[in-house]
Amino acid sequence: MISVEALRIEYGRGRRRTLAVAGVTFQVADGEFVSLIGPSGCGKTSVLLAIDGIIRPTSGRITIRGEDVRGVRRDVAFITQDAGLLPWKTVRQNAELALRLQRRPREGVQEILRSLGLGGFENRYPAELSEGMRRRVGIARALALRPEVFLMDEPMANLDTLTRERIQEIILRLWHMYRFTGVLVTHDIEEAVFLGQRIIILSPRPARVVEVIENPGMGEVGYRRSEEFYHVVVKAREILKSLEER
Amino acid sequence: MKQALHYLAAATAIFLLWALASFVLEQVKGWPVIPYPWSVAAAGIEYLPQWGSAFASSARRFFLSLLLAFATGLPLGLVVGASDRLHRWFSPLIYLLYPIPPIALLFFLYMAFGVGETVKVVTVSLTLFFQVLVAAHGAARNISPSYILAVRTAGADALQLHRHVILPAVLPEVFTAARVSVGLGITMLYIAETKLGLLGGPGSGLGVFIETYAMRTDLSLAGVVGLAFLGLLFYALLEVLERWLCRWKYVGKG
Repeated sequence: MISVEALRIEYGRGRRRTLAVAGVTFQVADGEFVSLIGPSGCGKTSVLLAIDGIIRPTSGRITIRGEDVRGVRRDVAFITQDAGLLPWKTVRQNAELALRLQRRPREGVQEILRSLGLGGFENRYPAELSEGMRRRVGIARALALRPEVFLMDEPMANLDTLTRERIQEIILRLWHMYRFTGVLVTHDIEEAVFLGQRIIILSPRPARVVEVIENPGMGEVGYRRSEEFYHVVVKAREILKSLEER
Repeated sequence: MKQALHYLAAATAIFLLWALASFVLEQVKGWPVIPYPWSVAAAGIEYLPQWGSAFASSARRFFLSLLLAFATGLPLGLVVGASDRLHRWFSPLIYLLYPIPPIALLFFLYMAFGVGETVKVVTVSLTLFFQVLVAAHGAARNISPSYILAVRTAGADALQLHRHVILPAVLPEVFTAARVSVGLGITMLYIAETKLGLLGGPGSGLGVFIETYAMRTDLSLAGVVGLAFLGLLFYALLEVLERWLCRWKYVGKG
């Protein structure tokens, strides 16, 4: 379980100090998939980086399986906004990178690449791939760690609609296969509803939890076309709109 | 192969232009100011042992200087450029020292390193060192934060960050800077080789070769051609190294 308690994050010192996150509390159960959504620049990425142990909270407490987060954990994988592929490494080297950095055996990467439709591209460089393929390499890199927890920072940002839906469906399929605990940060309402069993709505900066929407219908590819999906999207949209107007 | 043809075409063009210049000057001045390329070639072949030994000495010095400049300038530039704190402290120092031509300090360099082989290598490598250092430092300041975030979230320590992100990211710019500095480096080498007289004899470096035979214009020019070959050699060496180490830059571009 991931537990975030009264998380507060400030950047800078003295006069230039800005408050990014102002006391955020939520829990994610083992195997649960949660979406964090909020206006651009509201501090949702900061929350995710704090869970990953990259940002030290100014105050508050974050635990994963009861242990305080003090740095990057081996059972946690992070997918960054643009997949963060290194252009000087091949597909295989990029997919193996996280394992290599953690000095773990580089096993199973080949199968993961193949299962994501990247077989035959192992020795290509990112510049030779389409954007959708690059994102899949980013997913492969995270998946290679066989993580218990998946933290995703807008992994579908700046993709065309069909590619975005395809990647969303890949993530959904992987969640069914591995039953990891997932936290997805996004500013795309439909994406948050498609992938989140619960949708946590954050306020504009500094981030606070405004509302949590239960979304039990999530889990099937066809959910996107159901009436329930539509209702949840409308509800989330109204809350976000009211935040802007405030 | 295609590139070799281009070089051949360029060499032919230079050859023809040179012959033309020799001819025109001879007509205008009434005496051969610039020897014809073929007589320079003949003189070079006649003195091939000295010419070859001069070329080899200069090439060895330049190679050592380049190696030294990379071995020191590259890591220093990376480390200072990648850390905000080090950047604040050391950048002013780098930019204060950068414009000083090592040649201006040649007297002190002679005092410190003697008049032998060492001082020549030190002079040239100081020149190249600052070029490499400034390029590496500048490139390290401009690395995309998304690369850094990607390896940090994967659990990279500082050393891994430098090895997997910062070093490969700055290499292309460092190679470009090094290639551009080959000409400057050869100028410095020439000055360092000739400044202290002609102690070593004409075989001890192209600079000395050119100065020794200043009165035999055909031979002297053969030495100058040697400098051009030297520049080309190192330019090509750096190009080949970059194409190998930075393959990713050239994918899909042939």
